[in-house]
Amino acid sequence: MAELTYREAVAAAIAQEMRRDDDVVFLGEDIGKAGGVFKATVGLFKEFGPVRVRDTPISEQAILGAAMGSAMTGLKPIAEIMFSDFLAVCWDIVANEIAKARYMTGGQMSMPLVIRTANGGGSRFGAQHSQSVENWAMMIPGLKVVAPSSPADVKGLLAAAIRDPDPVMFFEQKSLYPIKGEVPDGEYVDELGTAKVLRDGGDVTVVALAAMVPRALKAAEELSAKHGIEATVVDVRSLVPLDTQTILREVSKTGRLVTVEENPRLCGWGAEIASIVADEIFWDLDGPIMRITTPHIPLPAADALEDATMPSAERIVREIVENID
Amino acid sequence: MATKPKAAAKGRAGRKTPAKTAPKRASSKSKSIANDDIGEDTRLALWRSLLEIRHVEQRAYDLFLQNLIKGTSHLALGHEAVAAGFATAMNKDDWSFCTYRGHHHTLARGASMEGVLGELMGRECGLLQGKGGSMHLTSVEHGAMGSYAIIGAHLPIAMGAAWTSQYKNTGQVSVCFFGDGTTNIGAFHEALNMAAVWKLPVVFVCENNLYMEYTPIHDVTAVHNPAGDRAASYGLPKIVIDGNDADEVYRTAQAAFAKARAGDGPSLIECLTYRHSGHSRADPGDYRPPGELEAWLKKDPVPRYRERLAEFGIAQDVIDGMDAEVLAQVDAATEISKASPPPGLELIDVDVWADGGTSWRN
Amino acid sequence: MDVIMPQLGETVSEGTVSVWHSKIGDKVSTKAPLFDVSSDKVEMEVPAPAEGTLLEIRVDAGATVPVGEVVAIIVREGEVIEAAAAPVAKAETVAPKTAAAPVRDVSVKSANRDARGNPLSPAVRRLVAENSLDPAAISGTGLNGRLKKKDVLAYLADGGSARSASPSPSRAMPKPAPLDFSGEDTEVIPFNNLRRLTAEHMVRSKATSPHVLQAVEADFARIARARSGVSAAWKKREGFSLTYLPFIAKAVCEAIREFPRVNGAIDGENLVVFRRINLGIAVDLDFDGLVAPVVKGAGEMTLHELARAIRDVSDRARNNQLKPDDFTDGTYTISNSGVFGTMITAPIINQPQVAILSTDGITKKPVVIETEDGDTIGIRPVGVLAQSFDHRAIDGAYSAAFLNRVREIIQTKDWATVLA
Repeated sequence: MAELTYREAVAAAIAQEMRRDDDVVFLGEDIGKAGGVFKATVGLFKEFGPVRVRDTPISEQAILGAAMGSAMTGLKPIAEIMFSDFLAVCWDIVANEIAKARYMTGGQMSMPLVIRTANGGGSRFGAQHSQSVENWAMMIPGLKVVAPSSPADVKGLLAAAIRDPDPVMFFEQKSLYPIKGEVPDGEYVDELGTAKVLRDGGDVTVVALAAMVPRALKAAEELSAKHGIEATVVDVRSLVPLDTQTILREVSKTGRLVTVEENPRLCGWGAEIASIVADEIFWDLDGPIMRITTPHIPLPAADALEDATMPSAERIVREIVENID
Repeated sequence: MATKPKAAAKGRAGRKTPAKTAPKRASSKSKSIANDDIGEDTRLALWRSLLEIRHVEQRAYDLFLQNLIKGTSHLALGHEAVAAGFATAMNKDDWSFCTYRGHHHTLARGASMEGVLGELMGRECGLLQGKGGSMHLTSVEHGAMGSYAIIGAHLPIAMGAAWTSQYKNTGQVSVCFFGDGTTNIGAFHEALNMAAVWKLPVVFVCENNLYMEYTPIHDVTAVHNPAGDRAASYGLPKIVIDGNDADEVYRTAQAAFAKARAGDGPSLIECLTYRHSGHSRADPGDYRPPGELEAWLKKDPVPRYRERLAEFGIAQDVIDGMDAEVLAQVDAATEISKASPPPGLELIDVDVWADGGTSWRN
Repeated sequence: MDVIMPQLGETVSEGTVSVWHSKIGDKVSTKAPLFDVSSDKVEMEVPAPAEGTLLEIRVDAGATVPVGEVVAIIVREGEVIEAAAAPVAKAETVAPKTAAAPVRDVSVKSANRDARGNPLSPAVRRLVAENSLDPAAISGTGLNGRLKKKDVLAYLADGGSARSASPSPSRAMPKPAPLDFSGEDTEVIPFNNLRRLTAEHMVRSKATSPHVLQAVEADFARIARARSGVSAAWKKREGFSLTYLPFIAKAVCEAIREFPRVNGAIDGENLVVFRRINLGIAVDLDFDGLVAPVVKGAGEMTLHELARAIRDVSDRARNNQLKPDDFTDGTYTISNSGVFGTMITAPIINQPQVAILSTDGITKKPVVIETEDGDTIGIRPVGVLAQSFDHRAIDGAYSAAFLNRVREIIQTKDWATVLA
């Protein structure tokens, strides 16, 4: 085990996969010589050179088009979209092309590619550089959607995404880049479509994703210490495929579901989970389902405003204390 | 109603001989074919390709009228020479990418007629088993890497495929066909720029048929040649050709492919052509000024090439025989398609993922 | 006019509408209950503030709202006439509202509610259905006393299953045939809210506390003598008869000073011992329920004050005039069944207290009296004092010592002087 930051785990996973498979290539804006605007890809250009680690112009459609065209003809590209907000300028390639090609052609095409992107708020960047847009991807049939919360998960899940034969949207929460954690040494590959139970508690099941996971864990400790409420915390990790079995099992145990979502309220992934839980284990529910989300607003920039809008550990504690008995 | 191209009618009227006419050597009276850079075999291949496209598209039109083809469809009647010229110049392992107006390009790469007609009719024998439809004809085994229905999307995608052949040094060329309207969307410029910077083996082919959809392209474009006048922006030469002359298209394609395979990067080629029918099934093309269609019908690529073959001394019965043969193939493909059942409902739940399934959860 | 959430006590700031007795469109009256309000201690019926028709219900059963909040709108009889005289458009706005409002069938709904009127969660509904339980009989530990799945599981684990043959019934086990309630000779008396609350409380108490019963026999001769001496004057002065109960209460208060742990409550793993003595006095409501209003500050009261305070809460209990504050903060409870001449009663602890005393009939009995000249037999008024205590909190010796002290005080105190 080595202690890596979340950002170092990104480069570690890419390097691990590029070493073992020459078909893996990497492209994006400022990813090569500059090492990425978030310094998440430092060292890759030096090790693998400009043919495999390609700096691109500011052309998101060209980046993702190149990823798709190369994936369908035999490469395994990793494309970086610097901020997930920018997916909006190349969403045609994601939603209409990459996601649909296999199905529409009766299985003639394969799309083994990964789109990495820095997602989410907490960095005071304002509404166009802070969105939590994993739900956009989750809505499109044909995309796998992953959002890790720890350095170990970054390495294991990104490696799994690169090896996966289907297109994977890999959402890195930018405020997590500096966090540190133990990461397995050597070749490490996790499994897509698996949620993780990070804490066991008997009173309420908190289901969280990405940056909301450490906040949910902090909240759970406070709930236990100050309020006698024991929370199970489930890290969803992968929205598609969705590990519903783990979620349903953990919600059945406590009878209570709280989702903690960074996204604005409407159509967040938590709504889908709430719907699945209500459909399938309604009779195990021992109280209303609760969703804790960012309000349905564009994220404001000032630290005071941003901190007040994104779900914090304090808010998670407060809402659970007020609503969960 | 769209006007039926005279060439097609003429082709049928001229059908005398049964199918399976073997090509014959030109007579001594012919133009000097021996010194010609194209040669008789290639010319006959071009002729066959032109005929296949013409007759299949004409049949597609007839099947609309019988309500056997549903949904929308964008016919390429009039565009045959672009598809025939480029496809004939391509190697089998080259990749082509086209738009929703893509029947001709898919056929030209060698996809079967029943595959195309069956897909248009929503039958099991369709290229995509009915899951794509008219706008998404694809035949990966023939290098026809998809028909893309969102304007502009496939230029960067074709550029990406070219990246594969550059990275793996395979010598394969990617060819990307699109309409004049595409030159005004951002993806066009992103793809041209990156392909030029990366010197990728990709050939961008604009089929300028004068209308973006219903609106004349000149009304909405800052330059006269929507593709050709933009080439300089990406350090590329301006290439504007007669897209209704299969020989000229073929020669231009060869030169561009040679450049691409030599590692000298992309080309942007504007082919001037004309759509004989409306934009799509629903469009009678009333917005076109009087006389324009008639003028272009005089340059119809199919009868023009019929004359070209004769000029080069190909025997009339060979020319006509191939026409009849292709028409018979279209008839047979039509019957196969009509007899083919609708796709099984089990197809709904396959092929979202590489494992063949559609599951998003456990 | 507005119907508001009444203030049911000085320290009460909110109330829960537990049930609506009328539905929209019903005639309502100041003489009939319109809705029930529960606070943490009591359930109370609230009549309509005026004669009229119920137009709108703003607070669903189960909801808790602050005092003063509008819970319903009624149209007074005068207003009905006004409405009829008003322009058609206005009348229309009223009429469809009435018509469109879903009819609330309270009797049906209440089956899906717990004793506090809270809706049952799906998990609880399933458990209740599978085990043929009465949800109102199970005590809830959630918000507002909401019944939770774990409450039902605890209830089942304690053998509380109402009709199942097994203490831990499983889904596979066949259920016993239901009783036949249809006969002409059968009367079905639905539980009223008080009955439900009592049932819930009793079950919870028995499930919570390991009860131990201890009893002593006391000689009430000194009290009887002191009492008979002042009886007529007391009745004349105070307007009510002086019973044995105030004497027993006084003795209990004095004994508690020496054995304070019976005057406590269990909080988790702590025994909380109170310095104040607030005596709960169980009062029967003419066979129509039982309440235990609290005489606060009993430890500081004289015998006279105790007698008056006990009389006051008993009277108000029988006249349905108790407020929620009358039920709060009890520390020890006395239950008096003596009026019917019972010999001994095993009382159920009033949670979260740790002990309860039952006083039974005081009857004349031959008693061996020890004198300096030897034993002799006399006729004395004798009664049994029976205490149930929570064995988690205290042990038998402590309880016995307390009871013995109560008896000593009863038997030896100079009650005549106290009364003088």
